[in-house]
Amino acid sequence: MKGILFLARTHVLTAIRERITLFWFLIFPVFMLVLLSLIFGQIGQEGEINLDVAWINRDAGGEDPGGFTTAVESVFERLGTEQAPGQLPLFTLHRPDPGEDLDTFLEEQLTLLRRGRWDAVIVLPSGFGQALYAGIAGAVEPGEGTAPLSVYMSETSVASTMAAEIIEQVLGEVDREILARTGRFDPSLAVESETVWLGASDEETRYVDFLLPGIVLMGFFVNGLFGVPGAILFNRDRKVLRRYWVTPLSVPRYFAGFALGHLALCGLQFTLLYLLGRYGFGATISFAQPAAALTLLLAALTFMAFGFLIASLVRTANAGMATANILNMPMMFLSGMFFPVAGLPAFLKAVVYANPVSYLVVGLRTSVGVESSSYAPALLVGVPLGWIALSVVVAARRLKWDVER
Amino acid sequence: MSDNVLLRVHDLVKHYGDVRAVDGISFEAPAGSVFTLLGPNGAGKTTTLEMLEGIREPDAGEMEIFGVRLARITRPVKQRMGVLLQDGGFEPYLKVREILHLFASFFGHPVPVDHVLSQVALTDKAGAQVRALSGGQRQRLAVGVALINDPDLVFLDEPTTGLDPQARRNMWSIVGGLEERGKTVVLTTHYMEEAEALSDRVCILDHGVIIAEGTPRELTQAFGEETMIEFHVEDLPSSALERLGACRKDYRVDGATVTVETEDLPTTMETLFGWSREQDVPLRNLVVRQPNLEDVFLSLTGRRLRE
Repeated sequence: MKGILFLARTHVLTAIRERITLFWFLIFPVFMLVLLSLIFGQIGQEGEINLDVAWINRDAGGEDPGGFTTAVESVFERLGTEQAPGQLPLFTLHRPDPGEDLDTFLEEQLTLLRRGRWDAVIVLPSGFGQALYAGIAGAVEPGEGTAPLSVYMSETSVASTMAAEIIEQVLGEVDREILARTGRFDPSLAVESETVWLGASDEETRYVDFLLPGIVLMGFFVNGLFGVPGAILFNRDRKVLRRYWVTPLSVPRYFAGFALGHLALCGLQFTLLYLLGRYGFGATISFAQPAAALTLLLAALTFMAFGFLIASLVRTANAGMATANILNMPMMFLSGMFFPVAGLPAFLKAVVYANPVSYLVVGLRTSVGVESSSYAPALLVGVPLGWIALSVVVAARRLKWDVER
Repeated sequence: MSDNVLLRVHDLVKHYGDVRAVDGISFEAPAGSVFTLLGPNGAGKTTTLEMLEGIREPDAGEMEIFGVRLARITRPVKQRMGVLLQDGGFEPYLKVREILHLFASFFGHPVPVDHVLSQVALTDKAGAQVRALSGGQRQRLAVGVALINDPDLVFLDEPTTGLDPQARRNMWSIVGGLEERGKTVVLTTHYMEEAEALSDRVCILDHGVIIAEGTPRELTQAFGEETMIEFHVEDLPSSALERLGACRKDYRVDGATVTVETEDLPTTMETLFGWSREQDVPLRNLVVRQPNLEDVFLSLTGRRLRE
């Protein structure tokens, strides 16, 4: 055990004393956190989007002389329908079952919104159609007796922010349609809506909450993909490892020490990024849940195993770094770590589905409540575990611990 | 195995592809002695040691260490072994003390790190990172690592290659200290003077086979009562060489160095002085010496050790 602890310490000390390692370990993730905080403000404005929206119509069955309630509902229904084969609708609408108590349903949907499962909750109030009709018909003064449409949003979700913007645009279209139908071009007659943000925070905080899990995973990813093969292959090339093999140190003990050191480095990196995210950028998410901690551990182990896989497939350290570079970009960018991947072509989606990073990103964001998982829970764990198993088996068979002669 | 033999190998073979790097060698290293494998580069010394250290497995043959016959080197055997590799590296960003602590952690009963630091004269460099050490200091650190478990059997593979004369003398003194403490040292070198200065027994290897074995004295005595006369001449005319050949048959020329073997020193010296005057060839740096291991190797292979 003493040998394992000393090896772990060696791994950590070497990593933090080497400038290039320190750059990848600390400076690069911090740089990405700052840079992407800005870039992420634009996310979701391009490409295919599918938002989960709960829809509650309290005016169903009520008086609707102008047919406005039906018109507004049909607009959202149309947005929740597939427009072309294989093309995702803008909204996936979640409605109460017939006869279900609407207050209870609303409470449930707001809870799901807070947990990041839904991106918005829209409530069409009772009397909406009647009030709108009365306003247009001149029975009441504009602004009197109105029943505004309520839109609930989550402050911790970037997708929710996107939903808010889209719903605003949709309501604008509805207004134009109504005004065109009635022939009255009076903006005071527009459909009123009120937006309710759940919680209290500004937009910047929401972005960093979305980003932070991705940046943490990116740090782990770079550590595993570059740090692990680098440490093993450079030490093999420098003939550091052969010094170990002439002592009673066994390969499993070496591996255990290396893994412990690697996990300690990941832990240190996570702590630094979390503290920076929380106190430097105002992140509010918590990683204290067991699911988040386990996902972080699974991610660190998956990327470490990937590093071993690379080390086992190449002959030299330089070849290892080149291979890591080749894998780095597709694995990172085809994972949803930085932008949504729903709109990618089929062949790229296949890469996304095979990529363990995709599942770890979704798993971590789901566990900290900034996203709802589009994968089955078994996949979130099973795919990374499968990659670990494959990597370990290949590495155990192929990894050379000494330079070839 | 006699009680006095700590290491014995029999008919050891190792191939690299079609190359027979070690071709059926057998030898014994008595306990408490310095046993040297001497030979030129590529003779098979390092491969032999790597099999004994557990880095490579032999293709055939037997190894017996601490009285135990082994197909490959086990961890209990490694607990009692110390190894100085010919080309092992260290983590450049670790400090000297950290490296010694790390290697100490691999053994059951290590020596205190401060003791080893003092033994290899690195106490004042204990806080320095490896990348800041000189070649000699790194080699002393490597020796410290090899001695961290107070081993009974120490393998030193080319311990002074690349070191300056002072560092080489320091290394010799460390090896001498090990022998005084009753340790068994197996050493490889291609420096004839190192083998002569340090060894109790020498095994000369060439092309993977043992071509001679014995104490340095036994090996050089194979030359009988001969004495070597050595001198330097520049631009030796061929006519002068022919004349020398007429006077003495047992001479050889290696660059500017002429070596003459003789059992009758006074007569040969007179002949040489006469030849020098007659041919007007000054005998620069003239040395009269006993035969050494270089002469043994040369007489057995027709080549010098460092060719």
